[in-house]
Amino acid sequence: MASELVIKNLHASIEGKPILRGVDLVVRQGEVHALMGPNGSGKSTLANVIMGNPKYEVTDGEIWFKGENILEYSPDRRARMGLFLAFQYPMAIPGVSVANFLRRALEAVREGPRPVGEETPGGRPAPRKTIPPSEFRNLLREKMKLLKVDNSFINRSINDGFSGGEKKRAEILQMALLEPEIAMMDETDSGLDIDALKIVSDSVNALRGPKLGLLVITHYQRILNYIVPDFVHVMFDGRVVRSGGKELALELEEKGYEWLRPEGSEVGVND
Amino acid sequence: MTETLATTGFSREAVIALSRRKGEPEWMLQKRLEAWEIYEQTPAPLGRRGDLGTLQRLARFHFQELHPYLPADGDGALPPSIEEGLRDALVGAAERSGLVLQRNSSVVRVELSEELKSRGVILTDLDTAVREHGDLVQRYFMTQAVPLATDKYTALHAAFWSGGVFLYIPSGVEIEAPILAQIWLDSPSAAAFAHTLIIADELSSARYVEEYASTFEGEQPSLLSAVVEVFTRNGARIEFTSLQDLGRNVWSVMHKNSIHEADSSVSWVMADLGSRLTFSNIGSNLIGNGSAAELVGVFFSDQDQRFVIKSLSNHVGLSTNAETLVHGALTDESRVEFDGMIRVQPGAQQTASFLSEHNLLLSKHCRAEAIPGLEIGANEVSASHGATTGQVDEEQLFYLMARGLPKDEAERIIVQGFFEPVLQRITLDSLRTRLRRNIVRRMRGGHESEADWIEAQERWEIEGVDESAVSFDRPSEEEEIRLLPE
Repeated sequence: MASELVIKNLHASIEGKPILRGVDLVVRQGEVHALMGPNGSGKSTLANVIMGNPKYEVTDGEIWFKGENILEYSPDRRARMGLFLAFQYPMAIPGVSVANFLRRALEAVREGPRPVGEETPGGRPAPRKTIPPSEFRNLLREKMKLLKVDNSFINRSINDGFSGGEKKRAEILQMALLEPEIAMMDETDSGLDIDALKIVSDSVNALRGPKLGLLVITHYQRILNYIVPDFVHVMFDGRVVRSGGKELALELEEKGYEWLRPEGSEVGVND
Repeated sequence: MTETLATTGFSREAVIALSRRKGEPEWMLQKRLEAWEIYEQTPAPLGRRGDLGTLQRLARFHFQELHPYLPADGDGALPPSIEEGLRDALVGAAERSGLVLQRNSSVVRVELSEELKSRGVILTDLDTAVREHGDLVQRYFMTQAVPLATDKYTALHAAFWSGGVFLYIPSGVEIEAPILAQIWLDSPSAAAFAHTLIIADELSSARYVEEYASTFEGEQPSLLSAVVEVFTRNGARIEFTSLQDLGRNVWSVMHKNSIHEADSSVSWVMADLGSRLTFSNIGSNLIGNGSAAELVGVFFSDQDQRFVIKSLSNHVGLSTNAETLVHGALTDESRVEFDGMIRVQPGAQQTASFLSEHNLLLSKHCRAEAIPGLEIGANEVSASHGATTGQVDEEQLFYLMARGLPKDEAERIIVQGFFEPVLQRITLDSLRTRLRRNIVRRMRGGHESEADWIEAQERWEIEGVDESAVSFDRPSEEEEIRLLPE
């Protein structure tokens, strides 16, 4: 059965300020959803809340994944269940090599979620099955070729000194490597030139299939010319205000977002 | 006389008894007595008002409950724990060109390769040097690099020094394989004094590795007072590496200083992991034109450990360079004070001096205080200093966790990454590995795959690390001062 990510009436706030005001959304494995909307409408917040960023407080609603309410789960547990977030602003972590980190991440994700009881602090988890560095290296090289990422990337520190485009490609490389069931791409297209956008889109399209559900968050319609969505949703003021097929994206391209502004909304389109 | 030494406590009588027992020449006895006078008259350094109080705590240490002199047993046999420690030394028997082993108050083993002996290198215990190279010792011992009146603790050291090593490298001799010194404390209530005097003649070079360790158990504390004096003549190069991994019942006071002639250089590598309390002073006096110094430091404190680290880059000659880079992590209730000074003397034109110190706080109860200082008396100078104290970045943590890594492991990886830029500057592979393992061991979230992680890290390293992997720039937080002639 296809894995399902079900968001029900999700409310979330940051530092007491409400951002999400009742989001409903369902993403299944095998489907590609585009999530569009003006700046400040809550798209990135939604992705972060789904991934479990502790910065945000969920005040109401539920997030179900693979039949479990994951609201209380740590981000790493969500990742090991098969969720993935390609960050809008990937963090640089100096001194930690991409290769070392990704090998660890792959081992963790392949291990899958442990029973909840074993996650208590201080409890010693069962030995994790390690992937020999040579085997991992070959796997990584293969994915790197796909994304046309330079070989030197392996030994560099995570995102440290990467250009904007390199960071975005590195995120998709991680996605290709970790093989999530549901992946969110948070404005992966922003900061990419047209060549990089094609490379990234080609790679994402290569990953498309019955095993991957995608939530492509974007401000612009451009990336959707390359990654053609099955569904398009528009967020406004912390809610999904309109859902439709891929033609909705074209309509937005033509008419902008303003016509979808809910009554009483104060969120600016141009902020 | 020996009876006086067998009793506890420091006194003028004990100074005389120690000197007599060693059969020292009159000048050394007089020097010890002079130091004792200064010790008695000098108040202990107490730090500044409002600091973390570590120097005050050191001043209250019960010095008078210590044995000032603890000779080794007759036959020179080492206890198994020290034998084992020697086998696990940072520089193995096959890799070193010389060895000095001090146990408590006495140097019990000195070895030097025949090749170096034949080239005129001198490596002896300091007692022998006092007898056989009295003129050199008289001229350099606690006169310039670490003058005996530097503070109360150096005065005590000069009055009661007992072990110690003397290294002389003749002109043009380059010693590739490191010389290893291990200083062991294996007795409670002991005061051990380790003194290292290195004279590197023109265009010579050497690598010297000093390890401080202890094996005894229990609450009864001991004291290690170490003084290192390095003299580099024109064009000489010394790399001095120290690893302090003393037990938690040892208090330590360290003073290390170098005096540079023209175009000479000293690289200090300093790792502080152990001890109950450490007061560490490290400095370079760049007197000769074109001389250079580097200090790379790493520390990790936990439980109720306390460190005070003071560094000084003293620029005197023309066109001198210094760089100080210290990274440390604190956890539990530990406290660390770092006081890093760049001093550019009048006339020290074309000085380039940089200092950066970064502290990572891993618990809510640890405290770090970093005070970088800058005194500039010349006008053609490029100098910058900066210090940061922060916690593990929540966004970095979330990023790693979003990739499936449990919180403890994510935190450990960030801490390892924090240390990596300094570790990359350490040329001694064994020390780098030792430090990595120590860091991992002291972090939660390290489990059976630690060794595997470190191994992998080493492997990437062998295959080459991109330069960007070692950059750790936080220019926005650093204060830069640049003065150029008009």
